[in-house]
Amino acid sequence: MKSQNRGQIRIIEAFLAALIIFSSFAVSSNLSVRQNVKKSEDLASIGLQTLVKLDSDGSLGKYIDCGNWTALRDALSIVLPAGICFNLTVYNDQMHQVNTAVISNGGFGSQQIAFVQYICASQSMVFRCYIIHLHLAVAT
Amino acid sequence: MKKRQRKFRAKSSGQLLIVAALAIAILISSTTIYVYELSKEANSEDVSSISNFVLALKQSTRNAMISSLANVSNGGEKNVLAANLNRLSQVFRSINNLGFCQLAFTPLSDSNYDSGTWLSWNISDMGVSSAYANFTLEVYGMAMNVTLNYAVNVTSTITINGYYTRLSGDEKLVNLTCNVYNEGKPALAKNMTFFYEGLGSWVPVDPSNDLSIMDYGNGTYHISFTVSTSSNVLQVSARIYDVRDIFIQANTTCYET
Repeated sequence: MKSQNRGQIRIIEAFLAALIIFSSFAVSSNLSVRQNVKKSEDLASIGLQTLVKLDSDGSLGKYIDCGNWTALRDALSIVLPAGICFNLTVYNDQMHQVNTAVISNGGFGSQQIAFVQYICASQSMVFRCYIIHLHLAVAT
Repeated sequence: MKKRQRKFRAKSSGQLLIVAALAIAILISSTTIYVYELSKEANSEDVSSISNFVLALKQSTRNAMISSLANVSNGGEKNVLAANLNRLSQVFRSINNLGFCQLAFTPLSDSNYDSGTWLSWNISDMGVSSAYANFTLEVYGMAMNVTLNYAVNVTSTITINGYYTRLSGDEKLVNLTCNVYNEGKPALAKNMTFFYEGLGSWVPVDPSNDLSIMDYGNGTYHISFTVSTSSNVLQVSARIYDVRDIFIQANTTCYET
Protein backbone atom coordinates (compact mmCIF):
# COMPACT_ATOMS: atom_id res chain seq x y z
CA MET A 1 0.00 0.00 0.00
CA LYS A 2 2.80 2.35 0.99
CA SER A 3 4.80 1.56 -2.14
CA GLN A 4 1.62 2.14 -4.22
CA ASN A 5 1.20 5.57 -2.53
CA ARG A 6 4.78 6.38 -3.29
CA GLY A 7 4.14 5.64 -6.97
CA GLN A 8 1.05 7.83 -7.01
CA ILE A 9 3.00 10.72 -5.50
CA ARG A 10 5.67 10.37 -8.19
CA ILE A 11 2.93 10.47 -10.87
CA ILE A 12 1.37 13.58 -9.30
CA GLU A 13 4.79 15.24 -9.06
CA ALA A 14 5.55 14.44 -12.66
CA PHE A 15 2.10 15.69 -13.71
CA LEU A 16 2.57 18.94 -11.79
CA ALA A 17 6.03 19.48 -13.23
CA ALA A 18 4.73 18.90 -16.76
CA LEU A 19 1.79 21.24 -16.10
CA ILE A 20 4.03 24.01 -14.83
CA ILE A 21 6.43 23.69 -17.74
CA PHE A 22 3.68 23.60 -20.39
CA SER A 23 1.77 26.49 -18.81
CA SER A 24 4.95 28.59 -18.75
CA PHE A 25 5.43 27.80 -22.44
CA ALA A 26 1.82 28.76 -23.20
CA VAL A 27 2.01 32.05 -21.29
CA SER A 28 5.36 33.10 -22.77
CA SER A 29 4.34 32.33 -26.36
CA ASN A 30 1.09 34.26 -25.82
CA LEU A 31 3.07 37.20 -24.49
CA SER A 32 5.39 37.35 -27.50
CA VAL A 33 2.40 37.22 -29.94
CA ARG A 34 0.75 40.04 -28.01
CA GLN A 35 3.92 42.16 -28.25
CA ASN A 36 4.04 41.62 -32.02
CA VAL A 37 0.40 42.68 -32.36
CA LYS A 38 1.07 45.76 -30.23
CA LYS A 39 4.09 46.75 -32.34
CA SER A 40 2.01 46.34 -35.49
CA GLU A 41 -0.76 48.53 -34.03
CA ASP A 42 1.79 51.20 -33.06
CA LEU A 43 3.09 51.14 -36.62
CA ALA A 44 -0.45 51.49 -37.99
CA SER A 45 -1.04 54.44 -35.67
CA ILE A 46 2.16 56.12 -36.89
CA GLY A 47 1.07 55.53 -40.49
CA LEU A 48 -2.39 57.00 -39.94
CA GLN A 49 -1.00 60.05 -38.16
CA THR A 50 1.45 60.57 -41.02
CA LEU A 51 -1.36 60.55 -43.57
CA VAL A 52 -3.48 62.92 -41.42
CA LYS A 53 -0.50 65.26 -41.14
CA LEU A 54 0.05 65.29 -44.90
CA ASP A 55 -3.67 65.79 -45.46
CA SER A 56 -4.05 68.63 -42.94
CA ASP A 57 -3.01 71.30 -45.47
CA GLY A 58 -4.45 69.44 -48.47
CA SER A 59 -1.01 68.35 -49.75
CA LEU A 60 -1.97 64.67 -49.91
CA GLY A 61 -4.99 65.35 -52.13
CA LYS A 62 -2.97 67.75 -54.31
CA TYR A 63 -0.23 65.17 -54.96
CA ILE A 64 -2.85 62.61 -55.95
CA ASP A 65 -4.90 65.07 -58.06
CA CYS A 66 -1.73 66.03 -59.96
CA GLY A 67 -0.45 62.45 -60.16
CA ASN A 68 2.78 63.62 -58.56
CA TRP A 69 3.77 60.21 -57.17
CA THR A 70 7.44 61.11 -56.71
CA ALA A 71 6.53 64.07 -54.49
CA LEU A 72 4.11 61.89 -52.54
CA ARG A 73 6.80 59.23 -51.97
CA ASP A 74 9.31 61.91 -50.90
CA ALA A 75 6.79 63.51 -48.53
CA LEU A 76 6.06 60.13 -46.90
CA SER A 77 9.79 59.42 -46.56
CA ILE A 78 10.26 62.75 -44.80
CA VAL A 79 7.28 62.54 -42.44
CA LEU A 80 7.58 58.86 -41.47
CA PRO A 81 10.24 58.03 -38.87
CA ALA A 82 13.52 56.66 -40.18
CA GLY A 83 13.73 52.90 -40.53
CA ILE A 84 10.16 52.34 -41.64
CA CYS A 85 9.41 50.85 -45.05
CA PHE A 86 6.16 51.79 -46.75
CA ASN A 87 4.14 50.86 -49.78
CA LEU A 88 1.18 53.05 -50.67
CA THR A 89 -1.62 52.39 -53.14
CA VAL A 90 -4.27 54.95 -54.09
CA TYR A 91 -7.76 53.91 -55.23
CA ASN A 92 -10.68 56.04 -56.35
CA ASP A 93 -14.12 55.66 -54.72
CA GLN A 94 -14.87 52.84 -57.21
CA MET A 95 -11.79 51.00 -55.88
CA HIS A 96 -9.89 51.36 -59.14
CA GLN A 97 -6.18 51.92 -58.67
CA VAL A 98 -5.19 55.52 -59.36
CA ASN A 99 -1.41 55.56 -58.91
CA THR A 100 0.45 54.68 -62.06
CA ALA A 101 3.82 54.32 -60.33
CA VAL A 102 4.95 52.35 -57.29
CA ILE A 103 4.94 54.54 -54.18
CA SER A 104 7.40 52.73 -51.96
CA ASN A 105 10.81 53.19 -50.37
CA GLY A 106 12.04 49.62 -50.53
CA GLY A 107 11.35 45.97 -49.96
CA PHE A 108 9.61 44.56 -46.91
CA GLY A 109 12.02 42.35 -44.99
CA SER A 110 10.06 42.34 -41.74
CA GLN A 111 7.38 39.85 -40.75
CA GLN A 112 5.43 42.59 -38.97
CA ILE A 113 3.47 44.49 -41.58
CA ALA A 114 0.91 47.07 -40.49
CA PHE A 115 -1.98 48.09 -42.70
CA VAL A 116 -3.65 51.50 -42.71
CA GLN A 117 -6.72 52.48 -44.68
CA TYR A 118 -7.32 56.21 -45.07
CA ILE A 119 -9.96 58.18 -46.91
CA CYS A 120 -8.56 61.31 -48.51
CA ALA A 121 -10.99 63.99 -49.63
CA SER A 122 -9.25 66.46 -51.89
CA GLN A 123 -9.60 70.20 -51.26
CA SER A 124 -9.77 71.00 -54.96
CA MET A 125 -12.82 72.71 -56.46
CA VAL A 126 -13.82 69.45 -58.16
CA PHE A 127 -14.42 67.14 -55.22
CA ARG A 128 -12.65 63.78 -55.35
CA CYS A 129 -12.48 60.98 -52.82
CA TYR A 130 -9.52 58.62 -52.65
CA ILE A 131 -9.04 55.47 -50.62
CA ILE A 132 -5.44 55.03 -49.57
CA HIS A 133 -3.93 51.70 -48.55
CA LEU A 134 -0.65 52.08 -46.72
CA HIS A 135 1.48 49.08 -45.75
CA LEU A 136 4.24 49.69 -43.23
CA ALA A 137 7.07 47.57 -41.88
CA VAL A 138 10.13 48.11 -39.74
CA ALA A 139 13.24 47.94 -41.91
CA THR A 140 15.50 45.02 -41.02
CA MET B 1 14.40 4.22 12.13
CA LYS B 2 13.07 2.82 8.86
CA LYS B 3 9.57 2.83 10.29
CA ARG B 4 9.94 6.54 11.12
CA GLN B 5 11.15 7.31 7.61
CA ARG B 6 8.19 5.46 6.09
CA LYS B 7 5.82 7.31 8.39
CA PHE B 8 7.42 10.61 7.38
CA ARG B 9 7.06 9.80 3.65
CA ALA B 10 3.46 8.80 4.13
CA LYS B 11 2.80 12.06 5.93
CA SER B 12 4.71 14.19 3.37
CA SER B 13 2.69 12.68 0.48
CA GLY B 14 -0.37 14.51 1.86
CA GLN B 15 1.63 17.71 2.20
CA LEU B 16 2.81 17.35 -1.38
CA LEU B 17 -0.80 17.17 -2.54
CA ILE B 18 -1.56 20.40 -0.66
CA VAL B 19 1.52 22.09 -2.14
CA ALA B 20 0.52 20.85 -5.61
CA ALA B 21 -3.04 22.15 -5.14
CA LEU B 22 -1.61 25.47 -4.00
CA ALA B 23 0.64 25.64 -7.06
CA ILE B 24 -2.29 24.88 -9.37
CA ALA B 25 -4.38 27.53 -7.61
CA ILE B 26 -1.62 30.12 -8.04
CA LEU B 27 -1.28 29.09 -11.68
CA ILE B 28 -5.01 29.45 -12.32
CA SER B 29 -5.28 32.80 -10.52
CA SER B 30 -2.21 34.24 -12.25
CA THR B 31 -3.55 33.09 -15.63
CA THR B 32 -6.89 34.71 -14.83
CA ILE B 33 -5.18 37.99 -13.88
CA TYR B 34 -3.09 37.84 -17.03
CA VAL B 35 -6.16 37.30 -19.23
CA TYR B 36 -7.91 40.17 -17.45
CA GLU B 37 -4.95 42.50 -18.05
CA LEU B 38 -4.89 41.48 -21.70
CA SER B 39 -8.57 42.26 -22.13
CA LYS B 40 -7.97 45.68 -20.55
CA GLU B 41 -5.14 46.30 -23.00
CA ALA B 42 -7.33 45.26 -25.92
CA ASN B 43 -10.00 47.77 -24.84
CA SER B 44 -7.46 50.63 -24.72
CA GLU B 45 -6.28 49.64 -28.22
CA ASP B 46 -9.88 49.74 -29.46
CA VAL B 47 -10.26 53.25 -28.00
CA SER B 48 -7.00 54.27 -29.68
CA SER B 49 -8.04 52.92 -33.08
CA ILE B 50 -11.47 54.59 -32.78
CA SER B 51 -9.88 57.93 -31.85
CA ASN B 52 -7.47 57.64 -34.79
CA PHE B 53 -10.42 56.85 -37.06
CA VAL B 54 -12.36 59.88 -35.76
CA LEU B 55 -9.31 62.10 -36.29
CA ALA B 56 -9.01 60.94 -39.91
CA LEU B 57 -12.74 61.30 -40.51
CA LYS B 58 -12.80 64.87 -39.17
CA GLN B 59 -9.91 65.72 -41.48
CA SER B 60 -11.78 64.29 -44.48
CA THR B 61 -15.02 66.13 -43.67
CA ARG B 62 -13.07 69.35 -43.28
CA ASN B 63 -11.40 68.85 -46.67
CA ALA B 64 -14.80 68.14 -48.25
CA MET B 65 -16.12 71.41 -46.77
CA ILE B 66 -13.12 73.35 -48.13
CA SER B 67 -13.60 71.80 -51.58
CA SER B 68 -17.31 72.66 -51.53
CA LEU B 69 -16.72 76.25 -50.41
CA ALA B 70 -14.05 76.72 -53.09
CA ASN B 71 -16.60 75.49 -55.64
CA VAL B 72 -19.50 77.64 -54.37
CA SER B 73 -17.38 80.80 -54.00
CA ASN B 74 -16.27 80.37 -57.62
CA GLY B 75 -19.83 80.34 -58.89
CA GLY B 76 -20.86 76.74 -58.14
CA GLU B 77 -24.33 75.65 -57.01
CA LYS B 78 -25.13 75.85 -53.29
CA ASN B 79 -26.19 72.18 -53.21
CA VAL B 80 -22.58 71.15 -53.99
CA LEU B 81 -21.86 71.01 -50.25
CA ALA B 82 -24.61 68.49 -49.54
CA ALA B 83 -23.71 66.45 -52.64
CA ASN B 84 -20.02 66.25 -51.68
CA LEU B 85 -20.76 65.34 -48.06
CA ASN B 86 -23.21 62.66 -49.20
CA ARG B 87 -20.54 61.17 -51.41
CA LEU B 88 -18.01 61.18 -48.57
CA SER B 89 -20.53 59.60 -46.21
CA GLN B 90 -21.18 56.80 -48.71
CA VAL B 91 -17.46 56.07 -49.05
CA PHE B 92 -17.08 55.87 -45.26
CA ARG B 93 -20.10 53.57 -45.01
CA SER B 94 -18.76 51.25 -47.68
CA ILE B 95 -15.19 50.75 -46.56
CA ASN B 96 -14.99 51.27 -42.82
CA ASN B 97 -13.33 48.29 -41.12
CA LEU B 98 -14.20 49.19 -37.54
CA GLY B 99 -17.83 48.22 -37.96
CA PHE B 100 -20.96 49.88 -39.28
CA CYS B 101 -20.30 53.60 -39.74
CA GLN B 102 -22.98 56.22 -40.30
CA LEU B 103 -22.02 59.84 -40.94
CA ALA B 104 -25.02 62.18 -40.94
CA PHE B 105 -24.73 65.90 -41.59
CA THR B 106 -26.87 69.03 -41.43
CA PRO B 107 -25.69 72.10 -43.36
CA LEU B 108 -26.42 75.25 -41.35
CA SER B 109 -29.34 77.36 -42.51
CA ASP B 110 -30.01 80.62 -40.69
CA SER B 111 -30.15 84.35 -41.42
CA ASN B 112 -26.60 84.23 -42.87
CA TYR B 113 -26.11 80.68 -44.08
CA ASP B 114 -28.06 79.15 -46.94
CA SER B 115 -27.61 75.37 -47.35
CA GLY B 116 -24.47 75.58 -45.25
CA THR B 117 -22.70 78.35 -47.17
CA TRP B 118 -22.48 82.10 -46.64
CA LEU B 119 -20.97 84.54 -49.13
CA SER B 120 -20.88 88.09 -47.78
CA TRP B 121 -19.10 90.28 -50.28
CA ASN B 122 -21.14 93.49 -50.11
CA ILE B 123 -20.34 94.71 -46.59
CA SER B 124 -17.97 97.67 -46.66
CA ASP B 125 -14.32 96.90 -45.81
CA MET B 126 -14.92 93.19 -45.28
CA GLY B 127 -15.64 90.02 -47.24
CA VAL B 128 -16.57 86.58 -45.95
CA SER B 129 -16.86 83.19 -47.62
CA SER B 130 -17.94 80.52 -45.19
CA ALA B 131 -19.30 76.97 -44.93
CA TYR B 132 -20.73 75.38 -41.79
CA ALA B 133 -22.22 71.98 -41.11
CA ASN B 134 -23.03 69.85 -38.08
CA PHE B 135 -22.08 66.18 -38.16
CA THR B 136 -23.19 63.13 -36.25
CA LEU B 137 -20.96 60.08 -36.45
CA GLU B 138 -22.24 56.72 -35.30
CA VAL B 139 -19.92 53.71 -35.27
CA TYR B 140 -21.32 50.31 -34.29
CA GLY B 141 -18.27 48.08 -33.88
CA MET B 142 -17.51 44.67 -32.42
CA ALA B 143 -15.77 46.18 -29.41
CA MET B 144 -17.78 49.35 -28.80
CA ASN B 145 -20.38 51.73 -30.13
CA VAL B 146 -19.51 55.38 -30.57
CA THR B 147 -21.75 58.38 -31.18
CA LEU B 148 -20.04 61.70 -31.77
CA ASN B 149 -21.41 65.13 -32.61
CA TYR B 150 -19.13 67.76 -34.06
CA ALA B 151 -19.27 70.86 -36.25
CA VAL B 152 -16.97 71.96 -39.06
CA ASN B 153 -16.60 75.63 -39.84
CA VAL B 154 -14.53 76.77 -42.82
CA THR B 155 -14.36 80.55 -43.09
CA SER B 156 -12.13 82.75 -45.22
CA THR B 157 -12.27 86.46 -44.40
CA ILE B 158 -10.57 89.54 -45.79
CA THR B 159 -10.54 93.03 -44.42
CA ILE B 160 -9.49 95.99 -46.52
CA ASN B 161 -9.08 99.70 -45.83
CA GLY B 162 -7.10 102.52 -47.37
CA TYR B 163 -6.75 106.10 -48.51
CA TYR B 164 -5.34 108.04 -51.42
CA THR B 165 -3.02 111.01 -51.86
CA ARG B 166 -3.31 113.36 -54.80
CA LEU B 167 -0.18 113.38 -57.00
CA SER B 168 -0.94 115.87 -59.75
CA GLY B 169 -4.21 116.84 -61.40
CA ASP B 170 -6.53 113.81 -61.35
CA GLU B 171 -3.72 111.35 -60.64
CA LYS B 172 -3.97 109.72 -57.22
CA LEU B 173 -1.78 107.28 -55.29
CA VAL B 174 -3.93 104.68 -53.54
CA ASN B 175 -2.61 102.87 -50.45
CA LEU B 176 -4.48 99.84 -49.15
CA THR B 177 -3.97 97.45 -46.26
CA CYS B 178 -5.50 94.03 -46.68
CA ASN B 179 -5.67 91.21 -44.13
CA VAL B 180 -6.52 87.60 -44.93
CA TYR B 181 -7.86 85.17 -42.33
CA ASN B 182 -8.74 81.48 -42.33
CA GLU B 183 -11.05 80.57 -39.42
CA GLY B 184 -10.11 83.86 -37.75
CA LYS B 185 -6.36 83.22 -37.95
CA PRO B 186 -3.99 85.09 -40.28
CA ALA B 187 -3.56 83.25 -43.58
CA LEU B 188 -1.89 83.72 -46.92
CA ALA B 189 -3.42 84.76 -50.22
CA LYS B 190 -2.70 82.85 -53.40
CA ASN B 191 -3.85 85.49 -55.85
CA MET B 192 -4.99 89.10 -55.49
CA THR B 193 -6.60 91.38 -58.03
CA PHE B 194 -7.82 94.93 -57.48
CA PHE B 195 -10.37 97.15 -59.22
CA TYR B 196 -11.32 100.79 -58.85
CA GLU B 197 -14.52 102.45 -59.86
CA GLY B 198 -14.15 104.78 -62.82
CA LEU B 199 -17.02 106.19 -64.87
CA GLY B 200 -19.52 103.85 -63.21
CA SER B 201 -17.72 100.61 -63.94
CA TRP B 202 -14.98 98.54 -62.29
CA VAL B 203 -11.58 99.09 -63.91
CA PRO B 204 -8.89 96.46 -63.23
CA VAL B 205 -5.64 97.60 -61.66
CA ASP B 206 -2.69 96.30 -63.68
CA PRO B 207 1.06 96.95 -63.90
CA SER B 208 0.35 100.14 -65.91
CA ASN B 209 -1.04 101.52 -62.62
CA ASP B 210 2.35 100.95 -60.91
CA LEU B 211 0.77 98.21 -58.84
CA SER B 212 2.90 97.14 -55.90
CA ILE B 213 1.98 94.43 -53.39
CA MET B 214 4.02 94.03 -50.23
CA ASP B 215 3.52 90.65 -48.54
CA TYR B 216 4.43 90.75 -44.86
CA GLY B 217 4.10 86.95 -44.62
CA ASN B 218 1.63 87.12 -41.75
CA GLY B 219 -1.60 87.57 -43.69
CA THR B 220 -1.10 91.33 -44.01
CA TYR B 221 -0.58 92.89 -47.43
CA HIS B 222 0.17 96.50 -48.30
CA ILE B 223 -0.97 97.49 -51.77
CA SER B 224 -0.31 100.69 -53.65
CA PHE B 225 -1.20 101.83 -57.16
CA THR B 226 -1.94 105.00 -59.07
CA VAL B 227 -5.22 105.87 -60.76
CA SER B 228 -6.38 108.75 -62.84
CA THR B 229 -9.93 109.75 -61.98
CA SER B 230 -11.70 112.99 -61.27
CA SER B 231 -13.81 111.57 -58.43
CA ASN B 232 -12.89 112.68 -54.91
CA VAL B 233 -14.24 109.47 -53.38
CA LEU B 234 -12.59 106.35 -54.70
CA GLN B 235 -14.28 102.92 -54.56
CA VAL B 236 -11.82 100.03 -54.55
CA SER B 237 -12.60 96.32 -54.79
CA ALA B 238 -10.26 93.48 -53.76
CA ARG B 239 -10.82 89.98 -55.18
CA ILE B 240 -8.70 87.39 -53.47
CA TYR B 241 -8.12 83.64 -53.65
CA ASP B 242 -6.67 82.21 -50.47
CA VAL B 243 -4.29 79.23 -50.52
CA ARG B 244 -7.33 76.90 -50.37
CA ASP B 245 -8.68 78.39 -53.63
CA ILE B 246 -11.61 79.98 -51.78
CA PHE B 247 -12.67 83.22 -53.42
CA ILE B 248 -13.44 86.30 -51.30
CA GLN B 249 -14.35 89.80 -52.38
CA ALA B 250 -14.48 93.04 -50.42
CA ASN B 251 -15.00 96.69 -51.30
CA THR B 252 -13.80 99.82 -49.54
CA THR B 253 -14.11 103.55 -49.98
CA CYS B 254 -10.90 105.59 -50.05
CA TYR B 255 -10.78 109.26 -49.13
CA GLU B 256 -8.03 111.79 -49.65
CA THR B 257 -5.60 112.32 -46.78
